[in-house]
Amino acid sequence: MAAITTEGLTKHYGDVRANEDLTFEVREGEVFGYLGPNGAGKSTTIRTLMGFQSPTSGSATVLGHDVTDRKAMIEAKRHLGYVPAEMGFDEDVTGERFLRYQASLKGDSRSEELLELFDPPMEREIGEYSTGNKRKLAIVLAFMHDPDLVIMDEPTSGLDPLMQERFYEFIRDEQAKGKTFFFSSHILSEVQKICDRVGVIRNGHLVELEDVETLLDRGGKRVSVRVADPVDREAFAIEGAHDVSVAGDERSSRPTTADGGERDDGARATGDRPSSADGAAKNEDASSGGRDGTSVSFTFTGDYNDLLSHLVTYDILDLDIADAPLEDVFMRFYGEVDPETESAASGTAEAESGPEGNADV
Amino acid sequence: MTLDVFRYEGEQRLTAALGLSAAFALMGVAFVAAAPLVTADVATSAQFEQLTTQLPQPFVQAFGLESLASAEGLLAGEFYTLFWSLFFGIYLAYTAAGSIADDVETDRMDVLLSAPISRGTVVFEKFLALLVPIVTASVVTPAVIALAAAYVDVTVPLAELAALHALSIPYLLCCGAIGLALSVFLDDADTARNAAIGLLFALYLFQSFVPVTDVGWLANVAPMAHFDPNDILLDGVYDVAGAALLLAATVVLVGVSRHRFIRMDIQ
Repeated sequence: MAAITTEGLTKHYGDVRANEDLTFEVREGEVFGYLGPNGAGKSTTIRTLMGFQSPTSGSATVLGHDVTDRKAMIEAKRHLGYVPAEMGFDEDVTGERFLRYQASLKGDSRSEELLELFDPPMEREIGEYSTGNKRKLAIVLAFMHDPDLVIMDEPTSGLDPLMQERFYEFIRDEQAKGKTFFFSSHILSEVQKICDRVGVIRNGHLVELEDVETLLDRGGKRVSVRVADPVDREAFAIEGAHDVSVAGDERSSRPTTADGGERDDGARATGDRPSSADGAAKNEDASSGGRDGTSVSFTFTGDYNDLLSHLVTYDILDLDIADAPLEDVFMRFYGEVDPETESAASGTAEAESGPEGNADV
Repeated sequence: MTLDVFRYEGEQRLTAALGLSAAFALMGVAFVAAAPLVTADVATSAQFEQLTTQLPQPFVQAFGLESLASAEGLLAGEFYTLFWSLFFGIYLAYTAAGSIADDVETDRMDVLLSAPISRGTVVFEKFLALLVPIVTASVVTPAVIALAAAYVDVTVPLAELAALHALSIPYLLCCGAIGLALSVFLDDADTARNAAIGLLFALYLFQSFVPVTDVGWLANVAPMAHFDPNDILLDGVYDVAGAALLLAATVVLVGVSRHRFIRMDIQ
């Protein structure tokens, strides 16, 4: 049995199409990352899965229970934990009192252990809590009844880095015990760290459903190379290279067209958009690294043999090849033409969707 | 039914309930203490006589000016009509108006509904928690008034006083139910609260002034038309049917609110 299934799940708020025809499945025991920028419709899906709202059309199940079946959802919630994005706790009670209230509603088999791991100041009133402390309390409340599935809406926002790491570790341990996680986030590094599979949502549409590995494979490698002689950006217009930037080269802020139409399906017609900010940043890194030679950096998704035979033609001072950060991969999805305007295929729509996509990330 | 929501919500209401009870008790004591003065001097003065004859009759009735000649008249006409039924009624409607809408607005409802609990239970038990201020104030206030009356040697009919408080409970619940309905039908908590104040006050004025018109029967839509402290305290007339009607209206309003809340999207 899948922990979560959705079938053509659609939710409109009046004219706003928050979720459009979402179909996916979260398998038992996996950590599923639900990725998208703010306003993409992540919370809408989560609210529907929690039974807070009814879908406009389509269906969904949580732990085998139909989300529109009120009685079934009460049963589902005995085995379901929820970490909300906005932590609505009563401000004028202590953490301790609120925990007791929640315990009376859903049971408590492990709050003591959780409080040792995440230690919000339980004796203080919640109104005095920092966001980080509220987040810790939210985590304790979500796991205290030892649920089988935990739905989390951006659960790490507000946690300090140390606590985030502890949380990731906790999730890995829980997953090892067979728990399932549905994890929404706009932070790619955390998804990369703990998720098995990722669904990418944009403008209410599911644009990608992948293993994190596959996503990274498709993302290719980030290649940074420092060569002894000055080179021209065009010299690296080899097949599979995107977002080529050359240190000190003013033109690097402009999109490269080398790869333009050659990429398959999802990543088509992208590559270029994110390069401005990204390229500029990389240039700084490169130039601060050393003054000799010329630094070139690009994302590579082509054949490694082609890359290497191209590189041997240069006198190479330094070379770094690493997995492309998921950010870059992600940017490709948001560099895409808006699925809704795609059918209209007008140039202006494409141009408009670009900056918006960037601003979101 | 485990009443977990009721217990928690009731506990949250306890501080306000005690404060409110203290305020009502103090006010009651003030009325009792002032009774000898008012009944002996003011109410019998020529100016007051003149004033009550000059003012429109509905106005005199609305603000209980006709019954100032005795302690129980003063209590019934002023304290129980204005403070207890109007202000307490408004307070309960206001509180109930925030009970659902405010929780939804501040995302507290999400946390609550992520627990295995039905929405119907949430509405019902949150409403039930209004009984905490109602019962507390209904016990403290008459007790303190009775003691104060004994102390300053003013006669207040105790049986009628007890009956008044008992009969006021359906009325107060009905006011709360009006607020609850506003809470689920209006999206915004502030709007719901303001609407509760406005509606209750409007209903009070409506039932005070409409009876002298041709459509006087319309006054029956107001809960205040079915609970009259003057009748109880001065004449010993208990409107049990009115209380039953108020209870029935409460049940209907809570039922409608529950129906709506179970089906609505929580955003």
